Amino acid sequence: MDVSSIDYYANHGTSFLHRARAASKIIFAALVIAAVVISDSFYLLLAVYISLFTLVVWTRLPVLKIATIAAYPAIFALIFAAASWNGSWMNAGIIVLKALSASLAMVILIVTTPYPDVFSCIGPVLPKIVTEGLFLTYRSLFVLLELTGNLVKGLRVRGGLTHGRYVKNIVNFSSGIGLLLVRGLDLSEKFYGVLKVRGYSGKLSGGVRDGRTGSDDIAAVIVGILIFSAALGVKTDSEFSEYAVYMPAVTLLILIVSAAYALFSESGGIVWKR
Amino acid sequence: MSHMHIPDGVLPVWLVAAGWIATALILAFCIRKVGGTDLKRKIPLLGIISAIMIVAMTLEIVPIAYHINLTVVAGIVLGPSLAFIAVFIVDLLISMFGHGGVTVVGLNTIIIGAEAVLGYYLFQLFRVVMGNKSMFQEALLAALLSLILSTSIMLGIVYLAHVGPESIGSAGHMISGTGGGGINFPRFAKTVFILSPLGWILESVITGLVVKYVYRVRPDLILQERS
Repeated sequence: MDVSSIDYYANHGTSFLHRARAASKIIFAALVIAAVVISDSFYLLLAVYISLFTLVVWTRLPVLKIATIAAYPAIFALIFAAASWNGSWMNAGIIVLKALSASLAMVILIVTTPYPDVFSCIGPVLPKIVTEGLFLTYRSLFVLLELTGNLVKGLRVRGGLTHGRYVKNIVNFSSGIGLLLVRGLDLSEKFYGVLKVRGYSGKLSGGVRDGRTGSDDIAAVIVGILIFSAALGVKTDSEFSEYAVYMPAVTLLILIVSAAYALFSESGGIVWKR
Repeated sequence: MSHMHIPDGVLPVWLVAAGWIATALILAFCIRKVGGTDLKRKIPLLGIISAIMIVAMTLEIVPIAYHINLTVVAGIVLGPSLAFIAVFIVDLLISMFGHGGVTVVGLNTIIIGAEAVLGYYLFQLFRVVMGNKSMFQEALLAALLSLILSTSIMLGIVYLAHVGPESIGSAGHMISGTGGGGINFPRFAKTVFILSPLGWILESVITGLVVKYVYRVRPDLILQERS
């Protein structure tokens, strides 16, 4: 989980998905996840994954890094796939692709949307304490990540984490975590003091950024609707499901064209001229 | 991997929905319970502990998915109700990082929340039984037992998926998911029980050492009495 990179991508991107409002992208992610949940076609799921990959290319963010961030659930999905093994690679592939696609849809949402915007959107359906906890967790996360980075560096420099001394390493590492906890609790007291000075009365406001629904929002929602419609069609219409086998090839073609375009437009054609 | 994050799409929808309903009910109960306390002061603490749990998850102890969670530490420091809320916040956040399924946040919260709640009560029990002789041992045992129990809860959830919605009277091929009915449960349980012990031991030892350290530095955080 590279939280700092995720936050950086969300705040510094300029793609159409970055410009779209959080609500549109939440609808997009929800539609993709709904498609993943109802689908049991290997070809369709592969096409969904490739389509999401194409979207990542369009965001102009580091594709492999984002795919790696989103690949974590595959480890657990593999355990489920191994337990469901019936001699069919496709069945195992379905389980892994479901986990990968849903995860990539969420990661696309989060690398293109600053966290406060996401929290503000989901806030109305969550209890107040959870919404405020989300804001404060996010706020504390970066302070603690920095503290942890310094702590690990300090431990390494002073020989607290060395090869071959595993027991000592675990003891030192745990003391480091303990120290982090104690400092974190002091930090929470400071937070409370600062919030109190600023007039905190049990409510944090995380206003949604202003903005009208524009073409970027419509594009995000349309992509989600297309993916969900395809999944619904394959699931319910036997005639349409026969075409599912061609979907990965079509989406792969779109991915190749998109990647070529991204590369060409970024390099000004230099790559092609060479 | 002291516990497993269930990914999206492997469990049937009826079970996923049941997980959300159960989590909503438990959350409502927890929020009601902490409502009487000094909540304004507790919210920053809740945020910090949730953030510490996420930071701990970013520190991979053994490559490929073995990381610590500090759920039992969260339970001991926050108490069962706030710890369950913290677990929900953490699960919701990490699902956005692609670390565990978003549709199964409810079920994952029940599994990991059980770890925190059981950790708290077991720690209190061991404190009474062992008489505060060794914080390390008391926290280690509490963490180990709660991890074994939460893994068993996870297996129970997967077993329910294995039973299938049709036999429970729910319905529909549209909501049956993929993995649930097709999972070979004995094989799954065997895999989990082969992979998990290393995670249990690491997490328990680290929990014991962290609690021992915090007890030395700030005993009030570990021994505070809750109503």
